[in-house]
This record gives sequence, structure tokens and C-alpha cells, in this order.
Amino acid sequence: MNDHNRLFLTGLWLIVTLELRQRVRGVSWYVLLGVFMLLVGIVTFLLWLATSAWLSGGGGVFSTIIFFVLLLGTLVSPALSGNAINGDRDAGTLATTQVTLISTGQLVLGKFLAAWITALAFLAAALPFLIFAVVLGEVSLGTISVSVLVLAAELGMIAAVGVGLSGILTRPLFSIVLTYLLVAALSLGTLIAFALLGTATQQQATSVNYQVVESTYDEQTGKQSDIVCSTAQTSTYPVPRFDYFWWILSANPYVVVADAAPGSFDAGGHPTDLFGQIAVGVRSAQAAPELYTEYNGCDEAANGYADQQSGIGPTQQEIYDGAVPSWFIGLFIHLLLGAGALTWAWRRTSTPATHLPAGSRIA
Amino acid sequence: MSATTVFGSGGIVPSGIAVTGVSRSFGSVFALRGATLTVPAGSVTALIGPNGSGKTTLLLMLATLLTPDTGTIRINGHDPVIEPERVRAVMGWMPDTLGSWPSLSARAALQTTGRMYRLTGEQAAVRADELIALTDLGDFADRPSRVLSRGQKQRLSLARALVHSPGVLLLDEPASGLDPAARASLRQLLRRLAGEGAAILVSSHVLAELDEMADAAVYLADGRTASPEQVAAAGASARSWRIRSLDESALERALATPGVVGALVRVLGVDQLGTLVQVENEASAAALLHNLVLSGVPVCDFGPAVGNLEHTFLDLTRERPARHSSVVVNPEVAP
Repeated sequence: MNDHNRLFLTGLWLIVTLELRQRVRGVSWYVLLGVFMLLVGIVTFLLWLATSAWLSGGGGVFSTIIFFVLLLGTLVSPALSGNAINGDRDAGTLATTQVTLISTGQLVLGKFLAAWITALAFLAAALPFLIFAVVLGEVSLGTISVSVLVLAAELGMIAAVGVGLSGILTRPLFSIVLTYLLVAALSLGTLIAFALLGTATQQQATSVNYQVVESTYDEQTGKQSDIVCSTAQTSTYPVPRFDYFWWILSANPYVVVADAAPGSFDAGGHPTDLFGQIAVGVRSAQAAPELYTEYNGCDEAANGYADQQSGIGPTQQEIYDGAVPSWFIGLFIHLLLGAGALTWAWRRTSTPATHLPAGSRIA
Repeated sequence: MSATTVFGSGGIVPSGIAVTGVSRSFGSVFALRGATLTVPAGSVTALIGPNGSGKTTLLLMLATLLTPDTGTIRINGHDPVIEPERVRAVMGWMPDTLGSWPSLSARAALQTTGRMYRLTGEQAAVRADELIALTDLGDFADRPSRVLSRGQKQRLSLARALVHSPGVLLLDEPASGLDPAARASLRQLLRRLAGEGAAILVSSHVLAELDEMADAAVYLADGRTASPEQVAAAGASARSWRIRSLDESALERALATPGVVGALVRVLGVDQLGTLVQVENEASAAALLHNLVLSGVPVCDFGPAVGNLEHTFLDLTRERPARHSSVVVNPEVAP
């Protein structure tokens, strides 16, 4: 590491520690963490009862706690990061930092790292319960490492968006609200958009039926003869085209975490954790509905009922394995979103400033 | 004030501030139009102007926070737009708005600022102790800065501007909120820093106080700096002098005598501090004093009613009465 890098990292860490001392110190912060731990504890206990975890393993408990941390992170992180830069400007401490040898890059990155570390504190607080879930068994090392890493990345994305918007917008309240709206758009908006778009682009599916009108049934052979077949009976009905819009769900943070975790299925092909259930749901939307189905009851009657698979259909594991994973697309979009917000904030905050947003004071 | 050396280490390139033809507009509003000034190393220059004249905009540009639209700025030879880092290393800025990290103590804030200037933790701690002693913050140094009074915050802000022993100091209203003792300390400190080679630019509304510590003054009105000719003309224009006598009636009689007063002197009136007369220039003031003493008036106080800076300031701003009608300057402002 050369001298320049060392200076950069020293300054960066100075900003991180300053931010943490400024924002995260005090009793209220520890009370918040304590309440969070209590909630996770209650949830863990109830899940333990609900999933009969002593028999089926800790997969369900583990995945739900991870989602709980993501939920809490998305609820708390915007409030803690959404005024990082414009709040300092309001307090008059931004300009006094900018006239020192701290660069804009160090300032913006340092605030982002501090916001991220703050969000990760929730993950750390949930650690005892995650360990408990792992001890219950049936949670693979792959699931543990991937879901924790992707969760950390998602929390980082929210922190980056919050800090970024606080550098882009002048008013702290507005940037905090916009961060919340963006998080809501990703978490809920994608679901709503998916459901609405899918059902709005309905298509007519056609099904053609041939049925036995009359036949002679031989009781000894169990076969039918002299079959009189009906004419083609055509019926049409609307089907939603979710397969056009499944990719929207890939931008959902919960889907990213669920889809990234390696699938874990029991002998019957059923997912053993919440990750698997969500992933199967999302991946099954990739398949196009059959727009033309034909059922020929006469053929069946004549040739006998073959060993039918059609009624059972593929198992959930088969759907999961047969579809395309999408989590890295979502993760990439989130990475771009976070990096873009930080870059924009960096450009807006860099000094000497050429433009000033209306009504803002740089001091 | 302690006897700590303000410039601990680090060489100072003594060349100061040079601003040439700097303009800046915000949308359709012109904040500065061709401001020009120099602050040589080892001197204190006062930046004087009515509210909204562009003082803070100019200081923000000097502090590397804002780019000028046109014109050039040099701080110790460096352009703040092209080499902001070099300028920041030698420049200390005390803003007009007081901002301090609310949960940090004054000591921690100074140490953190020191680290921001790339001092080591140890150096920053030593420097913070020096500055706490220098600005007389000892009693409050370990309390969170949100409980500090305005004057204490002002001293902390000054200490922060001095953390890296800058050779160029930009002070925006440094005396506001300070008690008289702290103001006297500030004056002494700035004179000492100038004596050690710093170039200091101070903006203030307390003109009488600047009179006592500034070597030179820059007048800013409507974003323009007054030219030396304008300043000279304003400084030489007729001004009020105040005369106090042990025998007020004798003074009154003497001033009513045409031979004593002379053509260039006009009596303005009497206030609680003495009699105000308007004299054309210093020569006629000297002649008036001479005549009064010859007439046997026991004069105990004879001098300009307002300070030099204030007289020039008022005279320059009087040229634009519509623009500055709201600026009220009280000649009796205590230093």
C-alpha cells in the first residue's frame, strides 16, 4: 500500500468514526437495538414452535430471521442515513470539514460506510438467534454464507441510496422520505407492479375437448369399445401473462436474498425454508402459460389410461431447478443504484462548487 | 492568552491573498462584480461592507468552497479552483455560521479537525491542548459542544481555524458574540499572528474594533471593491469632530465667535458626550483647536467623532442611499 492510499484510508476511517460517534452514540440507540433483539427473540421462539423446528431443522427459523433483519434494516436505515450530508450542511459542519484536507470522496464514502455499519449492527444483534437456528440443524453452510452476504449487500444498497440522496437533495426531510419511498418501491412496488402488469396483459387461452358420448364398457377387460366421440368443444378463458414480468420481481430485495440462497428441498421436493418457497414462487412465474390445450377423452378411452404424470405435474424442486436464477440481476441493479446515488452525491458535494441548488447555503 | 507559539511548525510561504477582478452571480443575482484586493503576509486587512454586499461570498471563494465566474484568486500563490488541496493546507477559515459536532467536546472537535489536516493522533492532541489554552476554553473543553454559549462556540470556531497553523486566515465576523475581554484577546491574538507572518482577512461590522487592529481596509459594496481613489476621497471628506470642555458655556461662546470657528467649520449640535462640529479636513481641525485654546476654552477632549474605517464606510455607502438605507451604523458602538 503506497503513501497516497494510506492517507486516503486514514481520512476515510476518521470520517467513519466521526459519523458513528455523532449519530449512533447515546442511550436511545442501544434501547433500539435492545427492542430489536427482543422482537427477534420472540419471533424465533414462535417460529420454533410453529415449524416444529426440533424435528424439521432450523431452516425456516434461520430464513425468517434473515428477512426480519432485512425488514428492520429497511425501516431504520433510511432514517439514519437519509440526512447524512444535507443534515451536516444544515448544522454547519459540512463546510468546515470540506475546507480541511478531507476530500469529497472520503467524506461521501465515509458517511456511506458509517451508515452501512450501523445497519449491520442489526445483523450482529440477530446473530445469537441465527446461531440458535443453525444449531437446530438442516441449515447448510451455503445457505448461511450466501444469505448473510447478500443481506449485507442489500443493507449496503439502502445505506448508499440514503447517503446519496442526502447529498443530492437539499432538504433532509425530503431526502429521508424519498429514501423510504425508494425502499418501498423496491420492496412493495415491485410486487404491485408485477401483479398488476401480469393480470392486465391477459391473453385468451383456448382449450379443445373431445369427450366420449357413448361407448360399450367391457367389464372383464376394463376396456371401452364402440366409442362415439363428441365434436370438438372449444372453450376460451383469460390467462395472466406473469412470464412477461417476472423480471420485475428480481429487483425486490427479499427476492434477491431468497433467490440467491442455494435451494434446500426435502425428499418430496418441497422447500425447507422461506428462501426456497419465495424462490419457487418467483421462478414458477417464468413459465409461460399454455395457450392451447387439447384433451382427447376418446383416445384415452380407446387406448387406456396411461401411467399419468400430467395430473401430478413437476415438483417444486423441479420448477426451481428448471428456471433461470435472477438474483444476480437484482443485485447488480441494486449495486448500480447505490453506486449511482453515491457518485451523484459526490459530484453535488464536491468543492469548489460551481453551482448551488436554489436556496442552499454551502456554509 | 498563553504564550504558546501559534505557528508550531511548518514553513509559511509569506505571500498572502491576491484577488483580481472576481465576479460571481447566483442566477440573476450578482453577488460580486469585479472585486479586487490583496492581503500581504504579516498584515491584518479589514473587509467592510453592508449586509448583502458580497463579503461572505468572497470569503467562501477564498476558502475553496465556491468557484468564481471570472477573475483569479491566489492564496500563497495557489489557485483555489485548480489546487484546492494546497490552498486548504495553508488556509484557516472561520465561517459566519457556527457549526460544531454537537456530541463532541471542544477538545475532541479540535483533535478531530487536527486529524483531518493529517496530524497524527498525538500531534492533534497536543495541538488541541495548545489551542484550548490560547482561546481560553479550558473550563469548557470537555463538555459537549452543544451546551456551549455563542461566545464559547465562536472561540472554538477560531481555535479550529488555527489547528494547522495556517499562513492565511479568513475570519467571517469573528468578534460577534464575544464579551469585551474576549474581543481584546482576539485583537491581540490576530496582531500576534500577523506579527508571525500570517495574512489575515477579517470581515466585521464592528468598525471601531477593526480600526484598532487592521493595517488596511477593503470596502465592498454591491459586490464591488472601492477603488483606492474612492477610499482616499471618502477618507478626506468632511467629518464630525467631538469637543468636550470643562466649561461648556465658554465653549459655546467661543464657537459662536466667527474668528474662532473659521469658514471650514460648522457646528452640528450638542449631545451627551460633547459638542459635534463638522470640519472640512484635519488642517482646519488643528486650526480650530488652536483658536479654542487661544480663546481660553478649557478643552479636555478633542477628536474625530467616528473612527477612520467607519467614516470612510459611511461616506462610501452614502453614495448609494437607496441601496443601503437599512444599514444603521451606530457611531457609539463600543469596541
